[in-house]
Amino acid sequence: MTNAPDRYERFVLPEGVSKVTRIKDTRITNAATFEVQREDHTLGNLIRMQLHRDPEVLFAGYKAPHPLEYKINFKVQARDTTNPETVFRRAIDAVDTEIADLRKAFTEELARPRDQGNFY
Amino acid sequence: MDTEKKKKKKAAAAAQEAAGASTKLPQHLQDQKTRVFCASDAPTYQNVSYSGAYMASRIDDSLNMADFVKNLKVEIKSLTEEEMVFDIIGIDPAIANAFRRILIAEVPTMAIEKVFVVDNTSVVQDEVLAHRLGLVPLKVDPRNFEYRTEADNATEKNTIVFRLKKRCWEEGPKGAETRVNEKVYSSDLEWLPLGSELPPDEETKFTAFNAPQTAPGGQPIAPTHPDIVLAKLRKRHEVELEAHAVKGVGKEHAKWSPVATAAYRLLPEVILKEDIRGDEADELVRKCPVHVFDIEDLGPDGKRATVARPRDCTLCRECIREEGWEEKVALRRVKDHFIFSIESTGALRPEELFTEAIKILTDKCEKVLADLF
Repeated sequence: MTNAPDRYERFVLPEGVSKVTRIKDTRITNAATFEVQREDHTLGNLIRMQLHRDPEVLFAGYKAPHPLEYKINFKVQARDTTNPETVFRRAIDAVDTEIADLRKAFTEELARPRDQGNFY
Repeated sequence: MDTEKKKKKKAAAAAQEAAGASTKLPQHLQDQKTRVFCASDAPTYQNVSYSGAYMASRIDDSLNMADFVKNLKVEIKSLTEEEMVFDIIGIDPAIANAFRRILIAEVPTMAIEKVFVVDNTSVVQDEVLAHRLGLVPLKVDPRNFEYRTEADNATEKNTIVFRLKKRCWEEGPKGAETRVNEKVYSSDLEWLPLGSELPPDEETKFTAFNAPQTAPGGQPIAPTHPDIVLAKLRKRHEVELEAHAVKGVGKEHAKWSPVATAAYRLLPEVILKEDIRGDEADELVRKCPVHVFDIEDLGPDGKRATVARPRDCTLCRECIREEGWEEKVALRRVKDHFIFSIESTGALRPEELFTEAIKILTDKCEKVLADLF
């Protein structure tokens, strides 16, 4: 087990490495790959789903390239009215707002008086 | 001529407006979009994530925050110290799944990470005992602690120290002895608020506490459950050790996972396509192993089957297995209605866990956003 990666490698971003890097697609117009470090399907699927709901997105997909490479890649192609960065940012912003709404709804529901222990 | 053209145009515009105003799909398409169908052979899940899929019917599924807020609903069904069941209505599966994954693997707790064994003459080997200790859930609020990295010293802010010392002996008259301290329990873990009491050797100082640790509420820090058997002892067996608990997440090791289970399921929907009366109604009630159906007494008109407890339905499909029944009963699931259940291991209450999960997901989004140009 001498070459086993440290357990914390999975979620601690190494110093000097940026969280997101953008790789421009040289073959498809208005497309880009976003490499997000130390994230997994939790965020990958969420953002992909959100990108699909954007009418200005032509293609959106993500993959975790290798189980020992702790990153995910998004491929985004946008309509020519916009660019991949904008739609990517917009998708994450939207997720952020949705979570904030959910949090508000949850807190309100928690504050409401209710019976305890009545399952289902 | 000209006026006629204008009239035609106006009529067409009116028709378009009328069509646009009724943003409703035909029933069968609406069902397909919002429900999972469970036929007797297999369920069909039609997953359309593309926002423009129903554009031809003037249904725009692209993101609309106002609609999202309007349709979002959270309902807590039950809440106890250990378990919470609640419904989230109007979200995408990806959001529900993100929360499930975060609850299991990314909400931090405290767990025993290092064990310094002074003496262990029990039959349980040191490494096995250390592993068992690691899995004991501790009743501590992890938000009061910091993560500890390899480079950090163990201080009162990142480490909780427990001592365990137990020896077994026999008492009583010869031939009828009784063993004392036959079992080592999790309640034998004794919290040391001042840090390690082991004598430091040349290289290691076990802890460097600057101040005594305090526990909110005055209760000493202890395992959630006092009755977990860690080892069994016989005469003259002894265990003496010190266990250091640190903060961590379930991704690194499952012992840090704050939940026993965190799961969601879709709301089951049971529909009787036609009236089921008389003996057939009795048969239907008898078929269901989880008692979803009830009988309604119609007086002189006999009796009729009703769907009384659709939430209990496990979609075992027993009710539609026999020939002819699939035409009478429809089993479905509502695609955007999630029944979420969180069972805590005891460090935090389930509702606090969910709130923490929301914070963590927000953090993740913001971290990506911050680095995005």
